[in-house]
Amino acid sequence: MAEQNKKNILEHIVQQSRDKSLSLAAAQNIAAELECSLRCIERIALKNLIVPARFKRNSLSCPEQLRLLQSRVAIIGCGGLGGRIAELLARLGIGHLILTDPDSFSESNLNRQIFCTTQTLGLNKVEVLARELGTISPTLEFTLNIKQFNRDSIATANIVADGLDSPAARKSLSALCRKQNIPLVHGAVAEWYGQAGVEEIPGTLINTLYPDSHQTSQAPPLVLPMTVALIAAIQSAEICKYLLHRKSPLKRNFLQTDLLRQEYDTIPFAC
Amino acid sequence: MKVQVKLFAFFREGRFIKDDKELPDGITAGQVVDDLNIKREEVGVLMLNSRHCKFETVLQEGDIYAIFPVIGGG
Repeated sequence: MAEQNKKNILEHIVQQSRDKSLSLAAAQNIAAELECSLRCIERIALKNLIVPARFKRNSLSCPEQLRLLQSRVAIIGCGGLGGRIAELLARLGIGHLILTDPDSFSESNLNRQIFCTTQTLGLNKVEVLARELGTISPTLEFTLNIKQFNRDSIATANIVADGLDSPAARKSLSALCRKQNIPLVHGAVAEWYGQAGVEEIPGTLINTLYPDSHQTSQAPPLVLPMTVALIAAIQSAEICKYLLHRKSPLKRNFLQTDLLRQEYDTIPFAC
Repeated sequence: MKVQVKLFAFFREGRFIKDDKELPDGITAGQVVDDLNIKREEVGVLMLNSRHCKFETVLQEGDIYAIFPVIGGG
């Protein structure tokens, strides 16, 4: 974009901002008037320390919010954990989500999957997420993969979120992430219990949690919605911290939670 | 010999969270799992005194032994 154009856009942004904050309506007006994208308006605003109003209460700095806008997160599995993570990351202000899931919503998903409603039963999960998340954050960009994950599902991501529901699939995803040097934020749930951790490169977390001796049960895992929401929130916090270069104990430990007794233990996985 | 056994997640249900057990000398981590009627294929992580161990590891007097299940849902 020509410097003169950017200067013109910035002048409009400064004129229409209040208290270093730009409303969505004002940004949309500028985008329409100057024939540029809303995303471009928000990027220029953030570079000049003016925050889009919907992110103001995130309390992140403008450079941090800009970093999130320029980040790409792959969500593998868009059910209980993946759907919640996608919703939280959209609200947080992540710029691009790569959503991968071959499945459609079914009745057994209604207990815990945020975008599964009686209106979306039978519809493809990835397509429903993209539609709903677009109403939360109009600048959010998507790559949609309505199929099983493969190396291309994560290739362009800064970080990968594990929204899978079986140990075997998690081991495959962990191997793909290792090959491509992309960190993996793990989460898993069973009834009142959950776990989460960050597998950096070279990773040991998934192989520690899922030893080869484990036999995958034929029965679908039992999952409560509160546990899903909690673990998805922890995964989303870890993704945010990774992208903003914050430290985390979950890079060397896995978290184990017990919602019946409200116990939260961190256990080292690299010793 | 005395060993403190700690259970996590759904292994606690119908059993205990933490128990100071009197165990025979030479008992292995795997035998304790068997005695608790926990299937070995359901076990994810075994920790002995905050370090990872295997079913074959022999327990010692005063050890703290923790057993975690595989958690796989999402």
